[in-house]
Amino acid sequence: MTTNPSTPSESTLQAFADMSAALTGFQSSFIRPFLDPVNLSGTFYSFAVSQVGQPRMDALLNTFNNLSNQTPKLTPQQIADTLLETALDAPSLQAQLCQSIVAMWYLGSWYTPGVLGGNGFAPPALQVITSQAYTKSLVWNLAQSHPMGFSPFTFGYWSQEPASLQTFGVDTSNGGGQ
Amino acid sequence: MKKTITIILLTIIAATLVIMTSIPTTMAPADSNPAIVLSPNIPGDATFGPLPPNPTNEQKLLAIQGDFDIYSWNTFIALNWPPGLDGNGDPTRKIGQNGDNDTVWEHYRDVADVFLPGGATPSWNGPVSVPTQCKASYKPGMRILSQVGKTPTVLTDFSQPFNTGPLIDQNGNYTRYEILVNKPMFDYILANKLYSKAGQQAFKGEVQFPCGGPNGPEGAIMVKSSWKVISPADRARFHTQTVLVYSPASQNPKYPASCSTKLMGLVGLHIGHKTDSGAQWLWSTFEHVDNAPSEADIGSNNTLKPKTYNYYNPKCSTANCPPNKVPPRPWNPTKVSAFHSQVVRMNMFKGNEFAFQSAAARNADALQLLLGVNSKSVWRNYELISTMWPTNTGKCQAAPGDPLGTPAPNFLANTTLETYIQGMVPNVSSNCIECHNNATMTNARASDFTYILQRAQ
Repeated sequence: MTTNPSTPSESTLQAFADMSAALTGFQSSFIRPFLDPVNLSGTFYSFAVSQVGQPRMDALLNTFNNLSNQTPKLTPQQIADTLLETALDAPSLQAQLCQSIVAMWYLGSWYTPGVLGGNGFAPPALQVITSQAYTKSLVWNLAQSHPMGFSPFTFGYWSQEPASLQTFGVDTSNGGGQ
Repeated sequence: MKKTITIILLTIIAATLVIMTSIPTTMAPADSNPAIVLSPNIPGDATFGPLPPNPTNEQKLLAIQGDFDIYSWNTFIALNWPPGLDGNGDPTRKIGQNGDNDTVWEHYRDVADVFLPGGATPSWNGPVSVPTQCKASYKPGMRILSQVGKTPTVLTDFSQPFNTGPLIDQNGNYTRYEILVNKPMFDYILANKLYSKAGQQAFKGEVQFPCGGPNGPEGAIMVKSSWKVISPADRARFHTQTVLVYSPASQNPKYPASCSTKLMGLVGLHIGHKTDSGAQWLWSTFEHVDNAPSEADIGSNNTLKPKTYNYYNPKCSTANCPPNKVPPRPWNPTKVSAFHSQVVRMNMFKGNEFAFQSAAARNADALQLLLGVNSKSVWRNYELISTMWPTNTGKCQAAPGDPLGTPAPNFLANTTLETYIQGMVPNVSSNCIECHNNATMTNARASDFTYILQRAQ
């Protein structure tokens, strides 16, 4: 299913970034920085909408907004557990979309929601979304490392201890990233 | 009255607070809205105006890119200002008032005179290295262009970055290059003995060139220029210099060293400047307006208007003259080449359209100022392509975990200096900050975004 999404509003993009932050365990300010010339959150939002359609994305963001506005306030981990339906054996279509969004951020690739490969593993990715989706995907930050063929570090960096997970954008509050 | 003053003061304070909280803390707010000015003062850093209310990401980037582009033009104007006896811009004169003029940056130190044979100690005002073949023609004060590539090492003297090849103009002449450093950069190299291999080996700690600040100091500046041979009839369109063009001897192809006097026109100017807001340096790149058409120009048949390009022949078909093709070997800069580079400026701002939009606006502003000095100023024929700046950086130091600082725009190339690596592929296409982050000294230790330390002997 593909659709042509209209230009999303700032509030929609921020909600998508905040939801992505909760789902991935990264800081929202890292997912969508104040100045963002790469604009992965915009690219990923538009790509996901083109794959699953605007109504499904709108419904997911509504769910997220409702969870975010609950009193008492839920932690990002609680929001992620709820969205991903981690307590259920058979996640809903919406939770499967969340899984695809997590994979998109971590791997820079799109995996069709709910489509499983052999032995329960995800099938091959539909596609790497952009070259920057690959070089900027979160898996490298979580590993405090860099993709093959693209290092932001200076020669000889491997002889030094890496910077902290927090500086790589991981949300380390409340025990995250440990 | 007192109440009015209080209200005004509170308004100013509130407005200042809005500005202070709107732009990143590494970016110095301007006293007034930044503007391009005719001044011999080299800005130590960019300054920043307020952001529009409730800005989108694109609007924020456009506003801040605009401030950096204003900084770039102010730097270009100051560096190309006629110098006084001390080498600094002479405030009693103006850029282009006589059409063309000697410039401040041309009195900086050529890296060939910084990294001397045997690792000898250089001096700021010391003698110029004159190759044997040039000595008969050399007159004091004359410049010597020897590089046939942007990268100043013996192995790559012939080519642009990544050994991609030389650039040959529409008359078959090889483009020449030079790299110069300002006094603060020279002084840092001198004080830390980084001009020699032995000094680099003994150096402890990290190479950290001084940062410029909005109200001083100047900070380290590196200027890379590209030049083409021109005829006297073209003098009015270029900043020109009569220089000695030196070609070292080569074994493959085989030719002896030679030197000749040529009238050269400036076609490209890269300015790298380490500043408080640019720990990864700020990279401003300018070109002569006649260098090459853009992809958009070609798509809209804009090249058919009567115009002569420095590096593009509108009458040659794509089949016969494929764009941005590396000249076939052998490369011999001592001869006029039958191959002419067919250069096209590729669109490297897809997704970063703010960079194109900002440069176009700032170029128009600068043009008005330069024409106001003299309608025949040669400087009217130069345009800013863009300024690359880090969006995520600490004050004069990189943010941990993001050593590149997430540059904006994502890619930037000068068609005379990075002709063959234009594009939008990470780590392959031209990105000043990404590329220069790989620079090291002769002992493989990081050299703070400059490759020139590799020239040390």
